[in-house]
Amino acid sequence: MVDKIKVENLSCYYDKKCALESLNISIVQNEILSIIGPANSGKTTFLRTLNRMNDFDKTYSRKGKVYLVGDNIFDMNMENLRKRVGMLFAMPIPLPMSIYENVVYAPKRLGLISKKSELETIVEQALKDASLWDEVKDRLDSSAMKISGGQQQRLCIARILAINPEVILFDEPCSGLDPISTAKVEESMIELKRKYTIVLVTNNVKQASRVSDRTAFFLMGKLVEIDKTDRLFVSPKEKQTEDYITGRFG
Amino acid sequence: MIKLSPKLSQRLSYTILFLATLLAIIPVSAIIFTIIKNGASAITWEFLTAMPKNGMHGGGILPAILGTLSIVTCTIVITLPIGVCAAIYLNEYAKDNLLTRIIKLAIINLAGVPSVVYGLFGLGIFVMFLKLDVSIIAGALTLSIMELPVIITTSRSALNSVPYSFREASLSLGVSRWQTIRYIVLPNALPGILTGAILSISRISGETAPVLFTAAAFSVPHLPHSIFDQVMVLPYHLYIISTQIPNMPKNIIFGTALVLLMMVLTMSFIAIVARIYFRKRRKW
Amino acid sequence: MRKIIDTTIETIIFICGILSIIFVVLIFGFLFKEGFAFFKSFGIIEFITGRFWYPTSNTPSFGIFPFIIGSILVTVGACIIAVPIGVMTALYISEVAPKGIRDVLKSAVELMTAIPSVVVGFVGMVTLVPFIRTLFNIPTGLTAFSGSIMLAFMAMPTIVTISEDAMRSVPWQYKEGALALGATKWQTIRRIVLKAAMPGVIAAIMLGVGRVIGETMTVMMITGNSARIPLSIFEPVRTMTAVVAAEMGETVRGGMHYKSLFAIALVLFLITFIINFIADLFLGKNKNK
Repeated sequence: MVDKIKVENLSCYYDKKCALESLNISIVQNEILSIIGPANSGKTTFLRTLNRMNDFDKTYSRKGKVYLVGDNIFDMNMENLRKRVGMLFAMPIPLPMSIYENVVYAPKRLGLISKKSELETIVEQALKDASLWDEVKDRLDSSAMKISGGQQQRLCIARILAINPEVILFDEPCSGLDPISTAKVEESMIELKRKYTIVLVTNNVKQASRVSDRTAFFLMGKLVEIDKTDRLFVSPKEKQTEDYITGRFG
Repeated sequence: MIKLSPKLSQRLSYTILFLATLLAIIPVSAIIFTIIKNGASAITWEFLTAMPKNGMHGGGILPAILGTLSIVTCTIVITLPIGVCAAIYLNEYAKDNLLTRIIKLAIINLAGVPSVVYGLFGLGIFVMFLKLDVSIIAGALTLSIMELPVIITTSRSALNSVPYSFREASLSLGVSRWQTIRYIVLPNALPGILTGAILSISRISGETAPVLFTAAAFSVPHLPHSIFDQVMVLPYHLYIISTQIPNMPKNIIFGTALVLLMMVLTMSFIAIVARIYFRKRRKW
Repeated sequence: MRKIIDTTIETIIFICGILSIIFVVLIFGFLFKEGFAFFKSFGIIEFITGRFWYPTSNTPSFGIFPFIIGSILVTVGACIIAVPIGVMTALYISEVAPKGIRDVLKSAVELMTAIPSVVVGFVGMVTLVPFIRTLFNIPTGLTAFSGSIMLAFMAMPTIVTISEDAMRSVPWQYKEGALALGATKWQTIRRIVLKAAMPGVIAAIMLGVGRVIGETMTVMMITGNSARIPLSIFEPVRTMTAVVAAEMGETVRGGMHYKSLFAIALVLFLITFIINFIADLFLGKNKNK
């Protein structure tokens, strides 16, 4: 087992308020790691720290180190980091252009490819990997704003796959979706872990138990427990974890 | 006082509101109508393309039309790029600190400072201090400074109307800040920026006070050769012939007013229609 | 290559940003410098309260009190006409007018903003001024009253568009809540909409006032340009803006008269800046709701 991401003593703050306290955690290559916990547990802060989306928030500050295969991400160029660590947001955010353009947007802007034929292969592959190809292959030129929410979310996944990252961060990706769309997104997640390392933040405890290899429980900015998913759900070591997964709070 | 039933009082109030609306619209329509009615007869090919004759009592107003066009062109060439870039800077790059907030506030409020104050400012800075004399360029710079806050404000609101989540989505894919602005923010803000710019052009064309001491001449016997020439401009020309020259033929004054009014209204109309069109077509 | 282009463009944007900041500072700095240069040799109190404006006499006197009164008179008159009509029009457009007419009305009002002040002045001169003279049987129709009427039309579009925006942004839940309690639509408009939109309406009025005070060409053409303190609105007046515009051409550059006009400009600048600032505060209040 190879550590893809290694977090050392990470603390995050908004203004003076501590959102995440001396976190130590490792994320293994090709696993799905779920992070569960109630509101304000620091899970989204953690996720947004991993590809530095929080850097634009001027109230945000942090201490500690995060290594992505040996390189400290805080020393890296932000654009290079995000190319390697993609992120899917809670709400689907298609860019206001066609489905095709959405997928080729990042590869084009990052200068990853030059030939048009290459673009078409990338689009097809990315949409297939996101299990969206069959639904949209006949209307790649129609606006991405017009497809359903679930399709939009899978389009956003395809958009990330098109730049071929190493890690994909999912920030409550199904919170706005119906059960059928959710099932489809989960399905593609399981497919994806063969190629990618996935971190999933979710409010849905069942979702964590369905898709992830390991699960971490956050509470009040602290990591309470991390373990193999089946073990954590069957016999949690901590009382707080048990209370949370059995629905006694949160 | 008689107590009206709610229903009756509603009908009465609506009628009053409707009458007020008529009162707001009719006088202005009357202004436009008067000018068209009295000025239309003056509009001939000669009027638009000839030099004035007999001490403005005859001939055309070509130099004033060209003067206005050249000043407006210069102004927009100066102010639009600077204004849009400044808006991008303030909206997308500037750190949100006290200084930035003061600057933003100052810019919004500068948009309401009287144009005659800008005229005086232009006279002091461009005409005298920079020794540009009374010229197209001095007038254009004055109008640029005057219009800059307006361009910045409208451009900023156009940039602001592009949802923040689009920027976040693009940045999260490793696309740089500028590329995000260039390929996501600007294309979606462009209709708003452009309609703002057209409204600005319309406003600049009708301004008199700022060019009064910086560019406008009572009469210039030839067409402008360079941006360092004095020029005749339509609004100032209208002011002169309607107040300073005795026995001006009425139809020449009305004709001049009509040309100016049409220039300004056409542009505003285009801007307003374009805005409605783009709003309806907006994808998000 | 791509990186180089990116950084170049970003640098240009930074420069423009800083340029706009420099312009702001320049305008403030320049007006204050010229204005204060004048106040050094002529007292500020005397300037504002002085009743006599003899800028070119051997013992010059620079009292702008008559012009302040002129500006106030014209502005108050314009507001008395424009505010009720403007606010009622805004209410009609935002709450009563059928949907199809609404956009047309709004665009028409916006189009009104575009009419150049010199055109408004000219039309006022040839139509309103003679009418006022015969109607009230006074020696001249070039009065503060004529100015107020024409300026009311110029303030109206500002008042209508901005108040209409404020009324439109009142959350529909408020309205629905009132309607559900059995209020008629008009009661809802009067009690809920008008009250919730009040900060925006006040801001609209202030911006309208700002526009009227700063208006130059129209007042110069139809208020008669008399430097005396008027006794009623049916007398000619001269506003601060008109003084600057009318006398700038005749002054000796760098002389006291010239500087005094800068001092007037400074006063105008401060008045409008403060008005806009307050309006901005009210607009912010409306948004935070």
